[in-house]
Amino acid sequence: MAVVTGPATGRGGGGGDYPSLGNFPIEGDAAVFGFNVPTTGPYSSEGEDELRAYELAAKHLNEGGGWVDSQFDDLSGDGVLDYQIDYVEGDTATDPSQATNSANQMVDRDGVIMFSGGSSSATAIAQQQVAQDSKVLYMCCLTHSNETTGVECRRYGFREMFNAYTTGQALAPVVAEEYGEDNSFYQLYADYSWGQTQQESMNQFLTEIAGWEQVDSVPTPLGTDDYSSFLSEAANSGADVLILNHYGLDGATSLQQAVDAGLKDSMTLLVPLYNRPMAEAAGDAISGVFGTAAWDSQIDNEASNQFTEVFQEEYDRIPSGPAQLAYAQTLQYAAAVERAGTFYPPEVIRQLEDYEYDNIGMGAETMRACDHQAIRDVPVVRGLPGEEQEQGSYFEIVNVTSRDDLWYGCDEGPAAECELGPYGDE
Amino acid sequence: MIPDAVALQTTGAIARLLINGLQAGAIYILLAVGLSIILGTLKFVNFAHGALYIIGAYLGLIIAQDPSFGGKLAEWGFGDIGLGFGYLAALVVVPLVVFVIGVLMERFVARPFYDRPDTDQILLTYGIALILTELFRVLFGGASRSIDQPPWARGSATGVPVLGDALTALGINAVSTWRIVIILLTAVLVGIVFVLIEYTDFGLTVRAGTVDAEMVELLGVKLSRPYLVVFGIGAALAGVAGLVGGPLVNFNPDYGATILVPAFLTVVVGGVGSIRGAVIAGLSFGLIQAGLVQFGFSEWAQVGIYAVAAVVLLVRPQGLLGQEVAA
Repeated sequence: MAVVTGPATGRGGGGGDYPSLGNFPIEGDAAVFGFNVPTTGPYSSEGEDELRAYELAAKHLNEGGGWVDSQFDDLSGDGVLDYQIDYVEGDTATDPSQATNSANQMVDRDGVIMFSGGSSSATAIAQQQVAQDSKVLYMCCLTHSNETTGVECRRYGFREMFNAYTTGQALAPVVAEEYGEDNSFYQLYADYSWGQTQQESMNQFLTEIAGWEQVDSVPTPLGTDDYSSFLSEAANSGADVLILNHYGLDGATSLQQAVDAGLKDSMTLLVPLYNRPMAEAAGDAISGVFGTAAWDSQIDNEASNQFTEVFQEEYDRIPSGPAQLAYAQTLQYAAAVERAGTFYPPEVIRQLEDYEYDNIGMGAETMRACDHQAIRDVPVVRGLPGEEQEQGSYFEIVNVTSRDDLWYGCDEGPAAECELGPYGDE
Repeated sequence: MIPDAVALQTTGAIARLLINGLQAGAIYILLAVGLSIILGTLKFVNFAHGALYIIGAYLGLIIAQDPSFGGKLAEWGFGDIGLGFGYLAALVVVPLVVFVIGVLMERFVARPFYDRPDTDQILLTYGIALILTELFRVLFGGASRSIDQPPWARGSATGVPVLGDALTALGINAVSTWRIVIILLTAVLVGIVFVLIEYTDFGLTVRAGTVDAEMVELLGVKLSRPYLVVFGIGAALAGVAGLVGGPLVNFNPDYGATILVPAFLTVVVGGVGSIRGAVIAGLSFGLIQAGLVQFGFSEWAQVGIYAVAAVVLLVRPQGLLGQEVAA
């Protein structure tokens, strides 16, 4: 095994000796990041906004600006460990096999030292496997399935986003208070990892916390564009509440079709996971509908406001929750490299594990070592009526549920099924 | 004797199945008919049919509303190119513009390829579809869009006088008015095309050309003009499908590729060139999909269509109402 001596390379060794592993050591003058997002498929709007944020993060890492100057003391704004940051982009097409191919290409052909992306848990889980196999770190962007840091967790993957479990925990008390405790609900869910765990968690917490009763839970294929038959059955079920566990374009479509079919008159609608592009596409249909969101520009604190400002300056648009995740995860990795003094993946992983931070606009957080899940607050939101959306805000923040009221121990819930796997230097 | 409550429940279940099948099937039919007449009469495989749908959708959006686009248009300062003339204006302009695009496609793209193998036609039109998709993405950005329903067709159909009462009496409580508009519009458009092809001199010429183009030309009838019109009509139907589908399903530049597969499947199962076949296949798909969902097999709702298509094609390779081709 080749051994790279830190001082011999002058950069990235951190004073210790590290063997080659994955794409370490870096060849050339630039460290290459891979941004693997859906630019086609039902989650493409989310992917596009993530890409904007990734590009902005790379720019700030190289030239300074944004959170690099103000929130991340470990970062200099002059590259990372004196390496300039370069990047390659890939399209997951919202499809796990395409995501795997694209990630493999980034690792094998482009020599990326870290890659990031998501917007579908199935693609994120697939990419985490590539990361573990190739020993190249993967910083999850938007992925909300319980499995990502549960049964499918990997040592080489880290998730900032909360999950379906905590969405259920955060949403149940709010809707119980709003709609009362004596309700029955019917669920439609996207039939893959995220939708399956999302409906399980909604069932668990609406039953346990709100005291509601599930009538039925029905899978719909990912990428469905006509929900009429599904909605007709939901309307005929006699349930009081319809939960649409759909995301991205699918979420906007199913919600809009539900409203068009008149379901909002006879049932209460819930969309557990929202984001800005989705709300934008759904328009007035989201009015009054409760859900949770990764982050929103209306969360008023220094880091949030700064990010909104720099993003708006660069792209003349308000950033979405997925964009905040993409930006944060890229800087989080770079800061861990700086703290480790090396790009050597096991050392970077150790820097991220149990790392405590309060610099990305979501309050105090811990990147838990046992499952690589950020333990953080969860914003609960409610859609605004169409006429109020003109200001660029699509929902109001109902509350930001404290992390102290959410989550689970390392031997409970999804974390109980997590086995991270090796660092690669054992 | 069946108790009244059970009878009512059964009637309601059947009515729901029919209306759900009809509303899902109408979209398949609208997509397939344009494709079918081009494939059946001109023997031209048009993989750019989905791109014509997208042209119809974006054009409709620009004519009807005042959307703000991203992409290069925004960079160049033309992000707000919407005209805001309303939906009815779009319903008039979109078919005309896409008809002209279809005519130009026939003259400059399809005609030089009529005598070339199917594979060449597929490669050519697929390439055009890819170029158009990327062009739309660059110009308008990749964000998902939808067209607002016209005010007169918003909300649930159960609120429409008379129709609403009938639907409620049948136990149907979740149909949008726009779905009913699509069903009616599909019926009218398909009816017009059917009459044009089956009962007019123009249609006779086209059908004769399909059977033996050389003989028709020898009889002194020039086929190039009818072919031009047929391609234009097929394209216009795709454009209209984009316009009426726009308020129903969110679209982005990639959506053209998504609708192409079910459209082709409907054409092939119905029988290439058969308008009746496309209608029967589209309705069958809609009913199968609705039935599988209604009876608790929702996971199979999409797969079911392909399974039925496979069975039909095994039993009748020429499709339900297609002509058998001699080897």
